[in-house]
Formats: sequence, C-alpha cells, structure tokens
Amino acid sequence: MLDRITIAIVVGAVALFLIVLDLIRRRKLEEQHSLLWLAAAAGLIVLSLTRDLWEQLVLNIGIAYPPTALFIALFVAMIMILLHFSTVISRLTRQNRKAAQQIGLLEQRLCELEEGQKSLDGRIAQS
Amino acid sequence: MLVIIPALNEEASIGHVIATIKAAVPGADILVVNDGSWDATNRVAKNAGAHVVSLPFNLGIGAAMQTGFVFARDRGYDYAVQVDGDGQHDPREIDVILTPVIKGEADTVAGSRYIEDRGYITPWLRRIGIMILAALISLIVRRRVTDPTSGFRASNRRTIEYCAKYYPPDYPEPESIVEFAKKGLHMIEVPATMNPRYGGQSSITPVRSFYYMIKVVLAILVDVVRLSPKG
Repeated sequence: MLDRITIAIVVGAVALFLIVLDLIRRRKLEEQHSLLWLAAAAGLIVLSLTRDLWEQLVLNIGIAYPPTALFIALFVAMIMILLHFSTVISRLTRQNRKAAQQIGLLEQRLCELEEGQKSLDGRIAQS
Repeated sequence: MLVIIPALNEEASIGHVIATIKAAVPGADILVVNDGSWDATNRVAKNAGAHVVSLPFNLGIGAAMQTGFVFARDRGYDYAVQVDGDGQHDPREIDVILTPVIKGEADTVAGSRYIEDRGYITPWLRRIGIMILAALISLIVRRRVTDPTSGFRASNRRTIEYCAKYYPPDYPEPESIVEFAKKGLHMIEVPATMNPRYGGQSSITPVRSFYYMIKVVLAILVDVVRLSPKG
C-alpha cells in the first residue's frame, strides 16, 4: 500500500526532521524558528502515512494523482515559512536600525563628556 | 533651535553649509548626522563646529533624520530645522520656514521650489515624477502640496516628538506628509529658493529615480490603510 513516491516523501521528511533536531541540539537554530520546520516535517510524515484517509477527499476535489496533494501541502507550508521569515527579517531590520542610531547618539555623548572632562582637568592643572 | 543636516559623503560642501548656517542663524545649534560616510565628512563637520552623530553604517536618509529628531527630543529643543548637506538649501531662508512654526501657524513647514518660479530648473522627467507625487499626495491629504520631495523643513516640538518615534527610513519626505496628515500634524508650504549643488555627487540616477517613484507611491498607498506604529 505504500507506493514508492510515498516512501520517498517519508524518507525526505524524516531526514528534514532529524536535521532540524540536530541543528537545535548544536544550538545553531533558535527553538522559536525550528518549531515551524519541525511542524512542517511532522505534518508531511503524517500526511504521507495516512494516505488512505485523505485519498478519496483529494480525488473528489479533482486532483487525479494523490501524491500531488502532498506537494501542494509542502508548497503551502514553504510559503508560510518564507512569509514568517520575512516578518522576522523586518523585525531584525527595525531593531538593527534602532541599535545603530543609539550607538551613534551614545558615541557623540561620550565624546562630549570626554572633551568636557579634558577641559576640566586642564583647568584644575592650571590652578 | 537645532539645525539637523543629514550627510552622506558631503566633505566638499558640508563645511560651507555649516558656515552659512552659522552666519544666517547665529544662535542655532547644528547637528550633522553622518550616515555612514567613507570620506572626511566627520572631520570637516567637527572642525566647522557642528555636533556630529556618526552612524556606524549607512541607514538611509530617513533613519539619519530620525536620529537627529531623537537628539532634538532628548536635549529638549523646541524647534528643529532640516537642511540638506549638499548646499542646495539657502540657510538665509531658515527664517522663512521657521517663522510660521514659531507663530503657531503650523506644526511643520516645508520650503517649496514650485510655489513661485525662482529660476530653479528641474529636469523634465523628474519634474513629471514630482508632479505625479504631488497630485497623489494632495488628493490624500486634501490640501495642495507642490513640492513633496523638499527636504528643507522646520518642525515644532510635537512634530519632533512624533518623528523621533516614527519616521520613514528611506525616501522619507513624501511619505511623511501623509503620516503627518494622519496624525493631525498641520503642515504648510512656503516658497523657497533652491541652489545647484555646492559640491560633491548627487545620489540620484535614472534607475534610482524609477525605483524611488515606485517605492514612494507604494509606501504612500500603504500608509493610507496602515495602522499606527507601536511604541
């Protein structure tokens, strides 16, 4: 009942799952971002293994070849993940900009304070 | 009063700009926001007697201006004037844009090249672009806007506080007009003169102008429906 394409997809999804787990283990991936990937991989495994349950539904929708539905599901999951990363990048950009502005402002204040200190020292040395 | 000059690689003109501002408005403090220049802008501006905030890398003119507004807000300035670092704005006209703000006639005032003809020649393609932007923005804010890209502006405390919190990061001028209208900040235009660049290179190229138009029009349309920024 498991045809070759289903087996291929399950193998791919399990591999993805393991790679993500390994990246978390080696602390190369923040858990916050990895959840999405784990969910996508797990969902794909579940879908491939429960093909009997949704095959009829998919045929009724008009998809002639059920494994195509898996690819569609994967494609949708990819789009969602990419969209999520776009929002993450936007947030990082905003935070990065604010940090850079603060660095500039703080550096200017520091220079000002140092110059004030220097002239104060100079006056103390004179008197 | 604080004069904010956003500058990217303006070593050729910044000293002259600072000197003319000092002559025109002797009481004003001058802040140069160096937006990641890799020339001597920093040193020239400091030697000319301006405060200099140097951003660690290039953030875009809007983000640079916002840095200036944060500086103005935190140090308690009541008025801020923006003058470009390339010498195109005439500091002797700071009075003209600042007076309506001080009198309370507007929260922010922009100097416009196109209210009166003072001999400033705009390349025709750019003129068309500016006219399209002006028409679109006038329609949205229901007030006649003639020079939406003008970076010669004066602001009161309310505007400073708003811009310190939120200001479009790049190509900010047209977008900010829509933002101000949404926030209930009253903006007017007064006639102003524009000189040719004093020195250095303009950052405008045909490809960038096209990108600019697309980006700005999109940003303005998004602004109409966008929620106010948090914090």
